[in-house]
Amino acid sequence: MPTAILGPYTRTILTGAVIIGLLLFSFTYARVSVWIDVQPFFEWMETTWFGVIGKTWGAAFAVIEAIHLIGLALLGGSVIVGEGRILGFVFTDVPARTIIDRAHKVFFWALMTLLATGIFMACGVAMKIYYLPVYWYKMLALGAGILFHFCIRKPLLQRELEKINPWVTKAVAISSLMIWFTVAATGRWIGFSG
Amino acid sequence: MLNELVYNFAVWLDDTRWSAMLHESYYMYNWVESTHVLTLMVSLGMLFLIDLRMLGYALPDVPASKIAERLSIPMLVGFTIMFITGISLFYAVPVRSAQSVWFRTKMVLLVVCAVNAYLFHNRMNESVSSWDNDARAPSRIRLGAGLSLGFWTIVVICGRFIAYDWFDCDYEQSAFIEFFAGCVDGQERF
Amino acid sequence: MNEENQNDAQIKDEQTSAILATSTIIIFFAVYWFFQIQSVRELLELAYG
Repeated sequence: MPTAILGPYTRTILTGAVIIGLLLFSFTYARVSVWIDVQPFFEWMETTWFGVIGKTWGAAFAVIEAIHLIGLALLGGSVIVGEGRILGFVFTDVPARTIIDRAHKVFFWALMTLLATGIFMACGVAMKIYYLPVYWYKMLALGAGILFHFCIRKPLLQRELEKINPWVTKAVAISSLMIWFTVAATGRWIGFSG
Repeated sequence: MLNELVYNFAVWLDDTRWSAMLHESYYMYNWVESTHVLTLMVSLGMLFLIDLRMLGYALPDVPASKIAERLSIPMLVGFTIMFITGISLFYAVPVRSAQSVWFRTKMVLLVVCAVNAYLFHNRMNESVSSWDNDARAPSRIRLGAGLSLGFWTIVVICGRFIAYDWFDCDYEQSAFIEFFAGCVDGQERF
Repeated sequence: MNEENQNDAQIKDEQTSAILATSTIIIFFAVYWFFQIQSVRELLELAYG
């Protein structure tokens, strides 16, 4: 058990280690090295069934992209409602527990839709996005968002909310809004790059 | 006759200074388009949550009327922003947009969605006190919510398809497409 | 009592990790968006004078 080795601040230590690891990875040659190593994978992506369909039929790609946007709308909606309740903007007369738990369910299925359609689209334009820096910014933000949501936000908000410092929950809500907005904005930016 | 009217109006808009400035701008068009797409998260996000609540798939233990009432305001704010940015996008490229089959379909569907929303709200207000706390709304309300989800999905698909030039008037098209797109014989602007 | 202490310790750990993560996120994205806006301003000045 990690707690036995790392003590009572296991989650904090692991969070710190992940943050330092991500920063070291992002600002050193390790990033370039991994980027070079994944090129064969991106070349392979274009040869898959998804890649061939995406490249051959523009209509299919556009429909999948539209479903990606529907998923984005749902994800945005669930984040706005969930974090809005924490920040005291919406449904202030409904128990926060109810809103947080129910919004999370919508968030989960929206995220699954986004990941599935995103993978399809990535296969269709794999080598183009491989050379796009903004695609990698989006993946970094997406990775950070998923890790933050499932490893920090969800475990914290599963606790009794009265026992949590309200400033911490507000900081979590604001961070969540920032991350998912950045994922959406960088995703849109991909469309303008090449 | 109507198609020529629409075409002439679009050409008149195209000749205005602001239309050219927006169309040729370094960033402004991109920002307007990005705002239009990203505001989906607010407008359609709230709308889909309301529809999914009626179908029993989201927030089932929150009263339906409360969901509809509280999420309506951010939804309408989102739609207002989308309406303004949408008009701006049309104004930047008026001729091509006005003669796009996808744009025309999208506009028709927006009217259909508005009518559906009006009927949905009336039906909901008449009967909500009897089923407000139920996880799923009655079948007529669920039908309205399902239609709303379907129509709005097609609106988004049509919006995405506007960028494709398969049915543009400057290419050879079938008589039906030429009629539906409103292509004008001998037109010089596309 | 022991279980309650353990629960409180876990909440404290989760809060501390949340503070660490949210501070990193907020600072990182503030810096990121500052440089993005800066680069857009420079490009606009270059394009339009």
